[in-house]
Amino acid sequence: MSELWKRHRNWLAPLLFIAPGALLFGTIIIASSFESVWISFFDWDGVGPKTWAGLANYRELFADPQFYVSLKNNVIWLVMFMAAPPLGLALALLVNQQVAGMRFLKSLFFIPLVLATVTVGVVFGWVYDPNYGLLALIFNLFGATAPALLADEHAVTFAVVVAALWPQIAFCMVLFLAGLNNLSPDIIGAGRVDGARGWNMLWHVVLPQLRQVGFIALAVTVVGALRSFDMIAVMTSGGPFGSSEVLAYQMYEQSIFSYRFGYGAAIATVLFAIMIVFITWYLRMMVRLEKETR
Amino acid sequence: MTLKTELSLIDAIKASRRQFLIGTGAALAGTALSRPAIAAGGEVTIISDLGNADQRAVLERLAGEFTKKTGTKVTINNMDHEAHKTAIRSYLVVGAPDICFWFSGNRMKAFVDRGLFDDISDLFQKEGYSEKLGVTKGAVTVGGKQYGLPLGGILWGLFYRKDVFDDKGWTAPKTWDDFMKLGAAAKSAGMIPVSMGTKETWPTGGWFDHMNLRINGLEKHMALMEGKISYTDPMLKPVFDKWEELIKADFFSPNGPSFGWEQAGAALAQKKAAMMDLGSFIKYAFPAADQAQLAFAPFPEIVPGVERYEDFSVNSVHIPAKAKNKQGARDFFAYMYQPENLGAFLEAEGTIPPRNDCPPSKDPMVNAAVESLKTVKGTSQYYDRDTDPDMAQDGMKGFQEFMLKPDRRDQILARLEKTRARIFK
Repeated sequence: MSELWKRHRNWLAPLLFIAPGALLFGTIIIASSFESVWISFFDWDGVGPKTWAGLANYRELFADPQFYVSLKNNVIWLVMFMAAPPLGLALALLVNQQVAGMRFLKSLFFIPLVLATVTVGVVFGWVYDPNYGLLALIFNLFGATAPALLADEHAVTFAVVVAALWPQIAFCMVLFLAGLNNLSPDIIGAGRVDGARGWNMLWHVVLPQLRQVGFIALAVTVVGALRSFDMIAVMTSGGPFGSSEVLAYQMYEQSIFSYRFGYGAAIATVLFAIMIVFITWYLRMMVRLEKETR
Repeated sequence: MTLKTELSLIDAIKASRRQFLIGTGAALAGTALSRPAIAAGGEVTIISDLGNADQRAVLERLAGEFTKKTGTKVTINNMDHEAHKTAIRSYLVVGAPDICFWFSGNRMKAFVDRGLFDDISDLFQKEGYSEKLGVTKGAVTVGGKQYGLPLGGILWGLFYRKDVFDDKGWTAPKTWDDFMKLGAAAKSAGMIPVSMGTKETWPTGGWFDHMNLRINGLEKHMALMEGKISYTDPMLKPVFDKWEELIKADFFSPNGPSFGWEQAGAALAQKKAAMMDLGSFIKYAFPAADQAQLAFAPFPEIVPGVERYEDFSVNSVHIPAKAKNKQGARDFFAYMYQPENLGAFLEAEGTIPPRNDCPPSKDPMVNAAVESLKTVKGTSQYYDRDTDPDMAQDGMKGFQEFMLKPDRRDQILARLEKTRARIFK
């Protein structure tokens, strides 16, 4: 027995350690993904029998104007969310100064991260309220009437993304703060000896060391933008008339409210196909970064 | 801890989890199977969706009394109202309770058609419910058989503040002309004629119901709900013409999609709006001191000669087809449905009793609605209860868009027609 173990432990031990995680990941993520794709070929209300529909769900989806509205909104989310890493970095550099009271300021910037996304959505919903909201108060101060951002089909997505950016920027800030704490003092010292300071120091000495963290911040932001859902559900329920829906929300609405699980699965599959592009990019970058640091 | 309390603890855990941890409950099921039977009279489990704490308390009291009388243990699992709407679809198939709360009419029929609700015509016969129930019996009947017990009904219509109307010398509008004049008067008094929040789209569905019922009558309205009439049919033209007239005259709250019915109701309570289209639950948007000022008026007549039909939605209780203790559930129904018990349960919510022998309500709003119902010729339930849920979702979204962009009417109706053609093949 022990002879057997000795001979095989090189591969048995890792296998045993990986097995529980792999099993969970396999059933909850991998198997469900495949099932989703499979369901997308059916007409199914979630309870009754499934009927084979072939590519009908996809054909309908690509002819559905709502799909393109959702897709466009996904792009808006993605582009606007790209502001989070640089803003987070700027904030991190700001609050990383050794000035009295900075700890307090740091914790203020940290607050949105502690709040649940739903809370942030509700709070911003109030801010945007055209009658009683903070925004309305500010506009009234200047004698203007506040726009009803959440009732305007063109403004609504931007208003929701701004609300979602608040915690996202804080998240990036925390990542960069951690990165700033891990800067190598040797390299900084060497830079100082060579006369680097101010902008040069930041650009040539500090930022290169933050590459890994920056990459993670970017990846997390991309994923965050694509899976955006809770904020929309809380603030607008996709409205007015679907103009703030994204693919994830449309999938939820079709499956849960309209009881069209096949159609919802087709949307999920398209979203998955978009995500896989970013996941592939992420994995390749990860591998490359790991090789560099080795 | 004594053995007995320990056992009842396990029992409680098991009962409350059973419905929710479907599929992952194998381990729990193990403890459940090895459990000795404590309750000799069996057990009845209920899943309810009551948001009203007073009403929950009445249900718990009835359950307690029932247990004392019969020895049958009753477990009530209350869920969030909206979450329950999706949960019921899975628990009716796997892990059904013995009794569940739901909605009568088309929403009930959807489950009856799939064989998920138990036929309780025998209970109707035995208890003689047919003589006691009025129109609501039809709401739980499919193909001549009864599949549930109707609970409280909500009569939809216009609500206003008595003090405001007295103050301004207004009267509740009876005809379309009255309504238009009242709206103009409200606007010149700096008020919104009709308060409506459409963040959740359903209030638009109710408004459409009222206009369509007043213009085309019940039969054609129900045919539309059942997908037998096209959304591009010329019969709908006057409905949307009249609606557009109201929108263009700024009758409704500006920026409706920014808020829900609660805020819209608050605007009525704060005298910022003249009227609002809702059910009696509008009182929850009013401070307790102001509730006495609330008054009900039916939606005004539009086309003279069309009989009065109203949206009257009725909630209900059912026995799932996969329930384990169907007899126990029937016994509990019989107890809960006794006039005084049912009356107490509905009084807490302020809805209209389906039985004609319930004690008279102390709520003036309920009594007003009961009076008003006597002159109603026929009832539908509500847009999202009468038509297919998928159709309702698209329909109410379309109405919300119409209220913001009335110029897009043709596009919207063409889209709804496409949805109708897809669903009602």
